[in-house]
Amino acid sequence: MAELVCTMAVAHAPGLTGWLDMATPEQQIGLQAGYAELGRMLREARPDVIIGFSNDHILNLALDNTPDFCIGTASAWRGPAPWFRDWLDIDEYSVPGNPEVARTLVRELDRHGIAFAFRDDLLFDDNFSVPLTTLTPNYDIALVPVHMNCIVPPVPSAARCFEVGAKVGEIVREALPAGLRVALLGTGGLSHDPGGPRYFEIDEEFDRWFLALIENGESARALAQCTLERLRAAGDGGTPELLAWFVPWGAAGGSGARVVCYEPTVAMRCGMGGVVWNTGGAR
Amino acid sequence: MSISDVVRTLPANRMVFEVRRDMALVRRFKDDLEGLMAQYGLGEDEKEAFRAQDLKRMAELGIHPYFLTQITRLYHGSGRNTQSSAAAQAYIKALVEAPK
Repeated sequence: MAELVCTMAVAHAPGLTGWLDMATPEQQIGLQAGYAELGRMLREARPDVIIGFSNDHILNLALDNTPDFCIGTASAWRGPAPWFRDWLDIDEYSVPGNPEVARTLVRELDRHGIAFAFRDDLLFDDNFSVPLTTLTPNYDIALVPVHMNCIVPPVPSAARCFEVGAKVGEIVREALPAGLRVALLGTGGLSHDPGGPRYFEIDEEFDRWFLALIENGESARALAQCTLERLRAAGDGGTPELLAWFVPWGAAGGSGARVVCYEPTVAMRCGMGGVVWNTGGAR
Repeated sequence: MSISDVVRTLPANRMVFEVRRDMALVRRFKDDLEGLMAQYGLGEDEKEAFRAQDLKRMAELGIHPYFLTQITRLYHGSGRNTQSSAAAQAYIKALVEAPK
């Protein structure tokens, strides 16, 4: 029996590493302190592997073939993909993978009627590069990435993502090797709309509503009300990335999380923040 | 313009998808756009939109909105992609300030 030692979700927008100085001084302080604390909590949970869920941004899953979930089976990853490096202002890095954990998840999820695509050649943009460089800047914790389709309809529902998270949590506890310490990290959101009608806006009211649902552990209400239409109204082509947050929330059994930080950073064209459900193996 | 209006089969969507994945294609986008568009089989209306850097027309043709921001960066560069960057300003000029 492996142990789920940390369950967390964070926004990954490129402005955090690329142009944080354009946010207000208070927002810069809030995000720097918040992500530093999230990183400290993640690292102090001493995970051997991070299973990450994030929007693919149509970087690997082409429009002619968009599975809901595609897991990475490589033994090592490099990022950011070259064209994204100056945008993110992140130098090339490498991070270990964990093929055995990835393949076990594929096999076990199949048994539960959840088919993950899998491949060993995923490219990373901001989706994993921003969380890795801010939370684990030494890139020394293995990553099993799961790229999701959040922005090419039809996309998986919040309920499906929550169910996937619950099953992943079960598999961690029941099928991964004893003693293995596992973190589950969702990345994406909060409100934003890259290239869409609200590209230069965020929806602070939505963000605070969504975070309050998580903080209060109101998962049933969230699953009922976070329809794709509701998410899209808060940012057509970006806010549905919050589907990735329902995965760790499902693994955490729908319980309440601590909102570590939130900033309505219009200058970054994205509401930014992070939450943590549990650390240190507490459930 | 929304993610529901995307035409998944549009050749230009395939071209943009591939370009961001490969720096050699990024260079071709700059140096040999005509050859690149021919290679991916873009229609004449798509080619005209790319020649004219006409983001509004690209959106109407069914290019994914997420790609529109990346197309502005292919034309104008990605670094320091703030609101005042050339890439963001190109989007604003074409799709925010332009008459509906």
